[in-house]
Amino acid sequence: MPLRLLKYALSKEYPGTRFFQAHTTPKKSYDVVIIGGGGHGLAAAYYLAKHHGITNVAVLEKGYIGGGNTGRNTTIVRSNYLTPEGVKFYDASVKIYEDLSEELDLNLFYSTRGHFTLAHTESAMRTMRWRAEVNKHVGVESYVVGPDEIAKACPQLDLSCSGKAPIVGALYHAPGSVARHDAVAWGYARGADRLGVEIFQNTEVTGIDVQGGQVVGVNTNKGYIATNNVLSAVAGFTPRICEMVGVETPIVIHPLQACVTEPMKPWLDTILVSGSLHVYVSQSSRGELVMGSSLDPYEVHSTRSTLDFVEGLTSHMLDMFPFLSNIKVVRQWAGMADMTPDFAPVMGKTPVKGFYLDAGWGTWGFKATPISGKTMAETIARDQAPELIHSFRLSRFEDYELTGEKGAASVGH
Amino acid sequence: MKLLTCPVNGTRPLSEFVYGGELRIPPAAGCSDKEWADYVHNRHGAPGLKQEWWYHGPSGTWFIAERNTLTDQVIRTYLKGQEGSK
Amino acid sequence: MSARLTKQQGEWINRAAVVKFSFEGRGFSGFEGDTITSALWANGEKVLGRSFKYHRPRGILSLANHDVNVMLTDGLDTNIRGDVAPVSNGAVFEAVNTDGGVRKDKSRIIDSIAPLLPVGFYYKAFHTPKKMFPFWENVIRKAAGLGVVNFNYPRITKPKQHIHCDVLVVGAGASGLSAAIEAGKQGLRVVLVDENAQLGGSLGFDWGGSQESGKLLGELSAEVQALPNIQVITSAYAAGYYPDHLIPVVTKDGMVKVRAGAVVMASGAFEQPPVFRNNDIPGVMLGSAAQRLLHRYGVKPFEHGVVFTANDYGYRVAHDLLEAGVKVAALIDLRTEVDAALPAGLARRGVKTLQGSAVYEVEPASDKFSVKAVVVAPYNADSAEADTGSKTRIECDGVAMCAGWAPAANLLYQAGTAMRYDYGVHQFVPNKLPAGIFAAGRVNGVYALADKLADGKRAAVAAMRHIGKDLAEAASVPVSASAQSHPYPIVMHAKGKNFVDFDEDIQVKDFINAAKEGFDNIELMKRFTTVGMGPSQGKHSNMNAIRILARLRGVPVEQIGTTTSRPFFHPTPIGHLGGRGFHPHRTTPLHDVNAALGAVFTDVGPWKRAAYYTVPGLGVQDTILAEVEAVRSKAGIIDSSSFGKIEVHGPEAGVFLERFFTGLYADMAVGESRYTMLLDETGVVVDDGLAHRLEEELFYLTSGTSNAAAVYREMQRWQQLWQLDIGLVNVTGSYAAINIAGPLARQVLSGLVNFNLGEQQPHSAREAEIAGVPVRLLRVAFVSDSTYELHVPTTQAAFVWEQVMRAGSSLGLKPFGTDAQRILRLEMGHAMPGIDTDGLTNPLEIGAQHAIAMDKPDFIGKRSLEIIAKRPLKKALVAFALNPGYAGEMPFECNLVIRNGEIEGRVTSIAYSRTVGRVIGFAYVAPQHSAVGSAFEIRTDGGAMAPATVVPFHFLASQH
Repeated sequence: MPLRLLKYALSKEYPGTRFFQAHTTPKKSYDVVIIGGGGHGLAAAYYLAKHHGITNVAVLEKGYIGGGNTGRNTTIVRSNYLTPEGVKFYDASVKIYEDLSEELDLNLFYSTRGHFTLAHTESAMRTMRWRAEVNKHVGVESYVVGPDEIAKACPQLDLSCSGKAPIVGALYHAPGSVARHDAVAWGYARGADRLGVEIFQNTEVTGIDVQGGQVVGVNTNKGYIATNNVLSAVAGFTPRICEMVGVETPIVIHPLQACVTEPMKPWLDTILVSGSLHVYVSQSSRGELVMGSSLDPYEVHSTRSTLDFVEGLTSHMLDMFPFLSNIKVVRQWAGMADMTPDFAPVMGKTPVKGFYLDAGWGTWGFKATPISGKTMAETIARDQAPELIHSFRLSRFEDYELTGEKGAASVGH
Repeated sequence: MKLLTCPVNGTRPLSEFVYGGELRIPPAAGCSDKEWADYVHNRHGAPGLKQEWWYHGPSGTWFIAERNTLTDQVIRTYLKGQEGSK
Repeated sequence: MSARLTKQQGEWINRAAVVKFSFEGRGFSGFEGDTITSALWANGEKVLGRSFKYHRPRGILSLANHDVNVMLTDGLDTNIRGDVAPVSNGAVFEAVNTDGGVRKDKSRIIDSIAPLLPVGFYYKAFHTPKKMFPFWENVIRKAAGLGVVNFNYPRITKPKQHIHCDVLVVGAGASGLSAAIEAGKQGLRVVLVDENAQLGGSLGFDWGGSQESGKLLGELSAEVQALPNIQVITSAYAAGYYPDHLIPVVTKDGMVKVRAGAVVMASGAFEQPPVFRNNDIPGVMLGSAAQRLLHRYGVKPFEHGVVFTANDYGYRVAHDLLEAGVKVAALIDLRTEVDAALPAGLARRGVKTLQGSAVYEVEPASDKFSVKAVVVAPYNADSAEADTGSKTRIECDGVAMCAGWAPAANLLYQAGTAMRYDYGVHQFVPNKLPAGIFAAGRVNGVYALADKLADGKRAAVAAMRHIGKDLAEAASVPVSASAQSHPYPIVMHAKGKNFVDFDEDIQVKDFINAAKEGFDNIELMKRFTTVGMGPSQGKHSNMNAIRILARLRGVPVEQIGTTTSRPFFHPTPIGHLGGRGFHPHRTTPLHDVNAALGAVFTDVGPWKRAAYYTVPGLGVQDTILAEVEAVRSKAGIIDSSSFGKIEVHGPEAGVFLERFFTGLYADMAVGESRYTMLLDETGVVVDDGLAHRLEEELFYLTSGTSNAAAVYREMQRWQQLWQLDIGLVNVTGSYAAINIAGPLARQVLSGLVNFNLGEQQPHSAREAEIAGVPVRLLRVAFVSDSTYELHVPTTQAAFVWEQVMRAGSSLGLKPFGTDAQRILRLEMGHAMPGIDTDGLTNPLEIGAQHAIAMDKPDFIGKRSLEIIAKRPLKKALVAFALNPGYAGEMPFECNLVIRNGEIEGRVTSIAYSRTVGRVIGFAYVAPQHSAVGSAFEIRTDGGAMAPATVVPFHFLASQH
């Protein structure tokens, strides 16, 4: 047993202290107001304080921290994207993640498992090679493997997928990891809080005050807050916030569903994704299989579950793992995803001065949490987006310069 | 919504339908490049009552559904051009 | 030592049918109708499982699937729930999650080091130094989990059934039976679902020492049986609520998807344990579990126990215990104010009652396998502490616990019901129900038997009114005015082990400490402590968690709210949920013909197409090249039936095509064929194909395989907007398509057609007859300059194919597949959307300006193209050949074009062409490097740099 647990056994008083203070009433003004207390918003707050010395920051969360998509995703972290811009960006995120438990002194259970994107057709293999080649070019460890190597990593997988969609190969991505999603939000919240950031839960933004094209404040259910800088980090709610400032975006909301089984002893060590079968699966450290599928096919601003989703997903799981027939699904849930036409995020400045967007996180937001926080903090501190997120700027749509991640991201997580 | 009513074929399970996105009206000829880029790329993403394209696959029927994207409730459906004749 | 009683009225077991099984290596017998747990308990077995975290011995808690103390494996299956799974002859059971068996579990050591494992301990350690984390993670993963998965378990997919009904009643207790009968009497189609094997709910076991409930159950059951329009589904649970009243009902044998006009939720309530030290020792169980044991299975819960209650219900349990001959040493009531009749009733039977007292702790046997005694002390409701200064010890071997209830409102929540906390009954009750959903009985806060019956009727009437029955509204039934649940049944203890969540081993102090660390919101607390996250999803723990958090925060319970309820009500097997395996694929009308010819099939979109035709003794690559060679030197034949085929007819057909595609069509002569390209509104290439004008008012459109359905759908949508005078018909399935290509193609066909083939020009189309079959004959040039495409009515496809094959047999005609086709079209210089383009490619990047009539008034994507044309081109598709003499690693499609160490583009198509004698392909390069003769390098998988040169698109022309 690690020694650091001893204090819990030996102390008379429980030695734990609040991760973040229970602020209730915001001050009259802040240098920066961050809307959204999920991983992204909290990470941005943390890096604003840590890297830029900007600590007069309020994070406003309408529910509880990490209660949006941070706490609803299937926790996969990877960087095996298709465009060089995407790969570099997500790779930077992976690099921060790898040391984040130590930095935040909270065990995020960041577990590098290796990630296979299975290809069931030759045309899927083309895309795998494309991604592998771009990844390699940027220095990310991804390569195309054949069925033998997949079988070695996951001997339980039925490579023929019950004869319905035989696996011809895969993109293997060594850094692919899973993490404890809630802890990422809690760790950043604690880190930000200790640097002076104020976090407000149950605090909903009801309007944004823009005068002469410049943000001057936000209205909340706890009163008016003056500020010249607002960051929207509200995956699933971006269109509502943007409507408050009149910023047009291509973002539409589709639910993304997931489900989890009862715990079982560890057997699945890798992360598996099949685009053709619309499945991604990993086994959590508690022993549950965490499973997800593709986006719901139409726009809904709701986290309702559907039976179709879980029926389709489980039938494809059985194609891959026929022996799971009597393993039970405990719970299904959904998040609301900000979808963009090119499956890349929308980050940086907007036509409204002082209104910054960290949005368009579709189904790929969790893996970008650290780097989005870092780059958005820099964007706000300098009023200038760093090169790393240039391709994700909102103006790319007006410029017909879309980013082209669709080929990779649509395959899954 | 688990059931949807095609104006031609009646109420059917949602699995028979394909979502076609929001009904959008292009800007008038002679619009600026910016207006056109806005039309093709941007969407009215905020929740509310929307007119949407839906396609009934088995019969090949496109129609418009007025749907609240917050509650997922369909107010009415009709064939394009026959809004008044519900 | 048998705990089996003599035959009980209404018992569920069949004493004539003895069932033999083993548990943890020892043989036992039970009866048909026993669950594994009840049979073991009857045999005196009390250690049935080990807990998830601390590996504490566990016995019965709810005996109702509201906890997972008893999780077993039979060697085949895992995580079997012993409380509800029937015992079966010859079965061999073992507890899951033990190291060395349930009695000797080596992991029990964890219980003694529990102080080292505070709430969320895994967040607080193991991550530093970083390199040690994989070690610790491995330890933690192995310790966690429950059962071991059997990789040889067979694939089982259970059938699914659909039922439509007027009223679905969930729960067949008193209120549910009453509701079903009321709706049944009106002649409606009623479905009544209950998770138990028999009807009755608590009527079947909560007797309070009297036989009345049992009698009433008999009457109600008879009434249900007399109504054939009530479909009863027992041993089945309503797994979740989905929109439009879709409720999947899970049975042992499958899933019944019930679509109801209205739903009555009479789902009852989960009994909640009081929380005190060692409330998990085997022998300590819920009062309702004790009653279930007695009345359903004829088994004594213990020999001489105590009842620890915080409501009136505990007195009923005590009477049932006494009736069964169990000695009740005392009834300990947490409350100070109690209806005097209750203790008096027990006193008459010799049982003393201790009011205002709590079980401070259970004193377990040294192995913690059983109860030795309870320590009772006066209880201070304000501090939730027992006055240990005046504690007494009562020897006993069991405790029946009654502290209150939590509504089984899972499906109500899922349907969107707003709940409120009622301070009369002290539970959450529905406040605002969604349309078509009604609640009755205990889930609605209604407890007295007569009230439950009335509430069931009321709800049924309301449900019937909802679906349009003309009935007068029934009088409302008030929520129970007396508290059925204790507002705070928690007894603090300095040493802890007072469990709130038995799935996850969460104690009171875990909540206190979580709150100290800032997790003082119910959702955060759930996530940090994991309360309610185990397999029973908080059924026995969420309510106490809410009560504890409310007190910690000093706010009323309703301000805490509840965690979100999600499907499923009980964990549901993957084999029940899956099954609807969707792998749609289409075969062409010539599929069998192809198969007989030795075709190896490949998936193209939804279609199975022949990739190549095996030749004995010839390798795949050589086979494909031989197919190519046949087309180049003689003639080849390919089944192209999967191509999209659409007819556009009517006076404005040409107008439609000009708006839809990029080119000009209105001026086409009858019999002419032209290239079509489809863009989307952002100017991205979607698809291409050919338009053939067969008649003045009939265009026949052919396109590739993958996009055909989507393109047709888009045509229909635009036509809805344009309202042109045309008709659209998708004839993809009506015609097979057969291409005959190569220098001898005309010769092959000339004897079969009814006209002079020499008259048909390239890029033309006509109706003709082949071997007497009417066909559409298209002169296309996709794989060869000399290609005839026959569109044949599907039913005649095999006949025509045979005729052509016979005619070509002496000319060297060979079938070829999609692999050869890819090389052939590459040699012809044809780029293919989807292969040589991606989701963002515009036509200018593939050099398709020739196909675009920018001077037309409008076409889809035109306005965007105007904008794109003003911007610098970012990439250009070129044809290339690898330099002769390159002997290194062969590049593949999607290898990158690298210049000066940077990515310039990628290869989209590449193949060795024996015809050209070179490796040829298409690639994207920077526009300034796209001129014929420009050089570039392709990096192979292995990192070799393959030199290539830009060449003209038509490789064959460049060769000749």
